[in-house]
Amino acid sequence: MPEDPAVLPVAPVTKVAGVTTGGAYELPVYPFVAPAELRGKIGRHAVVVIGAGLAGLTAACDLALHGVPVVVIDEDNTVGVRGASSRGICYAQKSLEIFKRLGIFERIAARGISWSVGRTLAGNEEVFSFDLKSLPNFDASEQPPFINLQQFYIEWFLVDRIYDLGTVDLRWKSKLVGCEERRDAIALQIETPGGPYEMETQWVIDCSGSHSPLRAILNVPVQTEHVVDRWCISDVRFRTHPPAERWTWIHAPFNDDRAVWQHLMGDDVWRLDYQMAPDADPEQFSQPAIVADRLRRQFGPDIEYELVWIGPYAYRSQCLETFRVGRVFFAGDAAHVMSPFGARGGNSGIQDADNLVWKLALVLEGKAPERLLDSYDAERRPAAHQNIRITTRTARFLSPQAPVDRILRDAVVSLAREYPFARGFVNTGRLSAPTHYVDSPLNVGVGGGRSVQNIALTLPDGQRGDLVALMEYAAYRVLGLITQPIDRYFAQELELLEERYPVRFFRVQFDESEPSPFPTIIDADERLGAELGIDGAGTCLLRPDLHLAGLLADAGAPDIERALRKLLAQT
Amino acid sequence: MKTDPTLKSPDDFYERLLNAHRGLTADQSAELNARLILLLANQVGDDQVLADCITAAAKPFTR
Repeated sequence: MPEDPAVLPVAPVTKVAGVTTGGAYELPVYPFVAPAELRGKIGRHAVVVIGAGLAGLTAACDLALHGVPVVVIDEDNTVGVRGASSRGICYAQKSLEIFKRLGIFERIAARGISWSVGRTLAGNEEVFSFDLKSLPNFDASEQPPFINLQQFYIEWFLVDRIYDLGTVDLRWKSKLVGCEERRDAIALQIETPGGPYEMETQWVIDCSGSHSPLRAILNVPVQTEHVVDRWCISDVRFRTHPPAERWTWIHAPFNDDRAVWQHLMGDDVWRLDYQMAPDADPEQFSQPAIVADRLRRQFGPDIEYELVWIGPYAYRSQCLETFRVGRVFFAGDAAHVMSPFGARGGNSGIQDADNLVWKLALVLEGKAPERLLDSYDAERRPAAHQNIRITTRTARFLSPQAPVDRILRDAVVSLAREYPFARGFVNTGRLSAPTHYVDSPLNVGVGGGRSVQNIALTLPDGQRGDLVALMEYAAYRVLGLITQPIDRYFAQELELLEERYPVRFFRVQFDESEPSPFPTIIDADERLGAELGIDGAGTCLLRPDLHLAGLLADAGAPDIERALRKLLAQT
Repeated sequence: MKTDPTLKSPDDFYERLLNAHRGLTADQSAELNARLILLLANQVGDDQVLADCITAAAKPFTR
């Protein structure tokens, strides 16, 4: 699909900037406000986020909800990327669950397109189709598997939410030009329309994208793999409506037997993405007249449409050798870029932020040692490698390089028409799924590291809610979910643990029949138990990013304390 | 990976395989082989056995 062209556009192969035509969007413009530093005040901050994109805004909004004051700087004064209509278009369930917590899910659901049917075509024929609704666990989460929406809308909603929260200092038209490590802080040099200034901060989250200036200043080693595959986006608004489905052509007759993606976004705009020949001239390929000709071949001679945006791009795979350098954390495209297949770029940047924020908040609050922050690299760098590996496999299927690659792919396609088994080999993108941190140093028991879906349940106050709401109720502490009996003595021990560690305990019951003096959640349909893998009596520790730290069977307070110390990197 | 014989009549299989390729161009033969590998892989249905078979098949070409 390129569900998520994260590197758009890329020099040197595509020097053509995107062409915005008649149906372009009107984006908000935010004012530059001179910060106190420009009036001579020495700025000393807890956290500075660089880059107001998906990862940066997610981190800033989440930090605000955790009560951490944060400064965000961004070179631009609007959402989205200048000249690019939309980069990511597809938001996966884990991201939607995070957005639910941040308070923008309802707006995304209202504006975006939920889809579940995907069709894979080769030539003029359908090879096979799937419906996500028929997959098991479709409704385990309160959020749908995917919503399609232009990336700038997500960023727009995040900015609105951040302004509503009122505790984030958003600084537009502010460019990072230098940094200097001090004894107990890092100094950042910023250029603005009002002049240059310097500010100090304890921590930096660099979300400034694949051309991060900070990464260059700090000289962080990067592994890069270039790919010859190039594509051209044509975002189009139709008068007539194609079906709200994801269609992928492995090879399309109307694109010289190369791949094509057709996907719906918000505002009735379609993302059409065409694979280009290796020797194609991107400028020629994206001429409106050439695009028009291709559209008529695809949809018929009478098609009525409005071009919203055209832009050729190339992609590459890139990963930093470390995601933490002292006081600086790298997240999103600043840490990793990958080919766009399966929407893994933007969605993994959102998960980077989700992973880091609760840890940073606990450290700033003095509830966990700085060592906890090392687990960000230990968990998110393997996640990036996994995503790069998965997207590279798709790229090899869609853009076969050696003759044998093509022979095998043709064999897969011809078999897949007839035999269900061969459909598993057809790889038009493995859609973004959360990474399970199975090798995390923070894991404390059975199922450790596994991402848990946002299951519906009854909160201790009797209100219907879900795990996300319970996490808010528990003020983003670690959740200790207990299925074993709690007598008075055990209850006292648990209260003591709550005083000494950032944890909140809840008893999990399947019905309301046995009233409990302890805060209790009701899992009436036993879906929470199934999702957590609770089998019998025990305690389940769930991290604020809804990853399981582990299940402890028949745990006493000393066992729980030992597990908490490991989870908080205190041992 | 099995290395002891399992086919009752190796000659029958070999003849069938050659016959299937008879009259095909080199490209068509390559395509037939590719289809056959994928069909057989699904019959084997064991990741480790398939990995061992790929290693064994690639042996003359790996240093």
